[in-house]
Amino acid sequence: MTENVNSDLRAMQKEHGPLLEVSHLAIDFTTDTGKAVHAVRDSSFSVYPGQWVAIVGESGSGKSTSAMAVLGLLPGTGHVVGGSIKLDGKEIAGAKQSEFDKLRGTKMGLVPQDPMSNLNPVWRIGTQVKEALKANNMDVAHEKRSSLAKALAAGEAAVQLKGNDDETFLGSKELPELMDAAKKALNAAGVTGEAFDKAVAGFESEWVPGSETRWRVADDLIKAGVASEQAWSIAKKYVLGATMDDRIAGLLSEAGLPDAATRARQYPHEFSGGMRQRALIAIGLACRPDLLIADEPTSALDVTVQKRILDHLRMLTDNLGTAVLFITHDLGLAAERAQHIVVMYKGQVVESGPSLEVLQHPQHPYTKRLVAAAPSLASQRLISAHERGENVDALLEHKVAGEAALDKSEHIITVDHLVREFKLPRKKEMFKAVDDVSFSVKRGTTLAIVGESGSGKSTVANMVLHLLQPTSGKVFYEGRDTSTFNAKDLLNFRRHVQPVFQNPYGSLDPMYSIYRSIEEPLRIHKIGDNKSREKRVRELLDMVEMPQSVMGRYPNELSGGQRQRIAIARAMALDPDVIVCDEAVSALDVLVQDQVLRLLNDLQAEKGLSYLFITHDLAVVRQIADEVVVMQHGRLVEHATTDEVFNNPKMQYTRDLLDAIPGGKLQLGLD
Amino acid sequence: MTDITTKSDGYAVETLPGQERYVAPIEETPLQSVDSVDENAPATSMWADAWRTLRRNPLFIISGLLILFIIVVAIAPGLFTKQDPNACDLANSLSPASDGHPFGYDLQGCDVYTRVVYGTRTSLSVGILSTLLVVILGTLIGSVAGFFGGWLDAVLSRITDIFFALPMLLGAIVVLQMFKTSKSIWKIVLVLALFGWVGVARIARSAVMESKNLEFNTASTALGSTPARNLFRHILPNSLAPIIVIGTTSLASYIVAEATLSFLGVGLPTTTVSWGGDISSAQTNLQTDPLVLFYPAAALAITVLAFIMMGDAVKDALDPKSRTA
Repeated sequence: MTENVNSDLRAMQKEHGPLLEVSHLAIDFTTDTGKAVHAVRDSSFSVYPGQWVAIVGESGSGKSTSAMAVLGLLPGTGHVVGGSIKLDGKEIAGAKQSEFDKLRGTKMGLVPQDPMSNLNPVWRIGTQVKEALKANNMDVAHEKRSSLAKALAAGEAAVQLKGNDDETFLGSKELPELMDAAKKALNAAGVTGEAFDKAVAGFESEWVPGSETRWRVADDLIKAGVASEQAWSIAKKYVLGATMDDRIAGLLSEAGLPDAATRARQYPHEFSGGMRQRALIAIGLACRPDLLIADEPTSALDVTVQKRILDHLRMLTDNLGTAVLFITHDLGLAAERAQHIVVMYKGQVVESGPSLEVLQHPQHPYTKRLVAAAPSLASQRLISAHERGENVDALLEHKVAGEAALDKSEHIITVDHLVREFKLPRKKEMFKAVDDVSFSVKRGTTLAIVGESGSGKSTVANMVLHLLQPTSGKVFYEGRDTSTFNAKDLLNFRRHVQPVFQNPYGSLDPMYSIYRSIEEPLRIHKIGDNKSREKRVRELLDMVEMPQSVMGRYPNELSGGQRQRIAIARAMALDPDVIVCDEAVSALDVLVQDQVLRLLNDLQAEKGLSYLFITHDLAVVRQIADEVVVMQHGRLVEHATTDEVFNNPKMQYTRDLLDAIPGGKLQLGLD
Repeated sequence: MTDITTKSDGYAVETLPGQERYVAPIEETPLQSVDSVDENAPATSMWADAWRTLRRNPLFIISGLLILFIIVVAIAPGLFTKQDPNACDLANSLSPASDGHPFGYDLQGCDVYTRVVYGTRTSLSVGILSTLLVVILGTLIGSVAGFFGGWLDAVLSRITDIFFALPMLLGAIVVLQMFKTSKSIWKIVLVLALFGWVGVARIARSAVMESKNLEFNTASTALGSTPARNLFRHILPNSLAPIIVIGTTSLASYIVAEATLSFLGVGLPTTTVSWGGDISSAQTNLQTDPLVLFYPAAALAITVLAFIMMGDAVKDALDPKSRTA
């Protein structure tokens, strides 16, 4: 069947021509001083009906700007200064906002980047879906099909579509009666026992009011064994059109929200990030656009949630025949999801082509660089060790420089049956954020704690850092219980155990120059005089490969990756033994992330540092960690060496996490 | 939902027109090193940024020049007039302007110009001293409440609420009535500060609570810093901008309050030259000699306007919302 559909689809796509055709697009932003900044230059790409096309690039590459230009939603002073944007053959570059208003929603939909800020917090979710339907005068009683879906369905489906009536939605009022009639019909048709139960269970999950249409109900009945004529008469009798509320619930449930009718009455703050993104997908697809623009739709979400949502979106858009322009910074994700890839760099398209081809045989040096930095590739750690000309095996066995001298005790940090409870507002029972977690970090090695948001991994990090007191359990540093530390011991502990935090924008004081930021730990611990401190700061900047000229600058002048390197320099100022990295590279672009990880690896090899590395990204773990602890719901579910976790995961949860690594299964060629 | 168009993991079997493999010529987008620092960009701190914005703001230039002039007048009134503001001769009562006496004389026969010049110092010192005291008191109370939180915050916030409910002018009149026999600048300043710190305290509290939760404080604690060090080295400097903004904008209102209180006769002693007092004594002859009232009133209005404009300019430059993160 798929072969057939695929060739039909190709023929149809060829005949129809591209749905979206962007050629030689140029976009400028005007600065305060009247100067033009070229955000996008001479960029061309096209999207065919029903196709997923990905635009890949780092932040500032012009990928989002190009997509916003297609939607007519360029922010601020941005404007199209050249080239053309054709939607269905019609030129829309430079169209009036009133013309865009007609196109947005019905022709083009948007799933925005940040699910936290793109839903209005004072409106119910359902109301926000309704707004999209009303703004475009959608007929909520009947399904609107894309031309592509119609063409394909007519060619392939067993059921011939008979006009608009067959696209009538099922209403929630008629559902119980329909179910009764269906059961009776099944009985009459002689379907009994297991087959009967299976058919009914199938109906119950498939027949969603506001989403299931008449011909599909009839089709389901026929497939379950009911005679064609009777099936149609039942469908015609009971599928009479949906109300607005049914349609809203139907859309939300299509987007993968369980119990959609109840959910529609809730407010955004009652939703998790993934659920909000699903609601936004429902809104984006509410008016059945031909083209959906998804601007980093899952970048803010956990990888497992990302996988589920994208799988679902793929299924949904395939069914609806919607084309998707997918914007992402993750090459692996792009190649896994899209048939065609467009790589953007500094406002220009540097390479484009079929996903696998681009990935396996990257031609442009920038694409090559991206492919080389993709976290799903083999351990970066080994690569950077190779580059230093060191013996890789030695590194793997944790034989770092001067280890013999360091070896006071094998385990530098030991966490013993750690529990942390939090009081939740309006709830009596305590919430266990961390539940009986034990592990230890060996000197000179890296232990990664992996888990989704809310798994308690950061809470563990804060307890190891002595920033949070455990409810019970102990943390040992060099064999000493940290809870027994007096002020002097604690200061000494702080000197040897340093953190690097997730948010490179928050962890440096904006009022402090880079020099003061790096010098601060030396001041706190009263080390050296002004002159020797300045020398030390210069050394540290060299160590993190930053020019010494940044000393007089302030954090707001640096990029995220640069700030993170400054944060590492600050952590290194006191020559610590242990660095706790709490999602230290999660907020960075792939290339910058790669650079910071290499830096961490090199520092570890040089100084014999031990890392406790907290992350949600298993791909990164492979590059940096020796051992992995997997956490779920506050519990430790798996603890093994990195190779073992990757090659032979014991727990289902670990396997799910591994499966969710974007592009992890793609074959990458490096040439 | 039934699948009708399920594609397999359909990677392209054949390429569609317009989607052929394309590689841009390398010369067009030369590869730059990853994440390089622009070493030529000028260094900017928040204050340097604010100063740059201010310098370009005409509002700031005009009000700055005016305030500079007002300060010079206040410090050295002798530069502008050689006469004594209290050397009055009843023979000159309500005489019109003459050579060397451009604003004429008031009812008591004092030179209006000289009194306006000398009145500057009073108004300015009350304004500046009250503002300083208000900012110190408000920041102290507000930041302690915001930083420590818990019951201390609850108590301090309720006290703030109580003071917030008292109208400043009414409260000042009531309190100053008690010292009717021993008026002085200091009493006015103290009373204005007593009723004025509330606004600053509220702003300071929320600013401190906001910067308290920023990650650099946790980072600093993990480096071995004490809570007190965090408060003074990180949290307060980061909370300063909104406090400075409210300080500058409220300076004008203290000058007005002083004039009002002096006008009502509960402010400064009659021996102190002040615009409010002069306006008060000029009102009896408003219909026949409006100019006697006009000059001190105009001086007051210009001073207040200058400080309000300055406050606006500073607010524009320091507004946390316009700061780039």
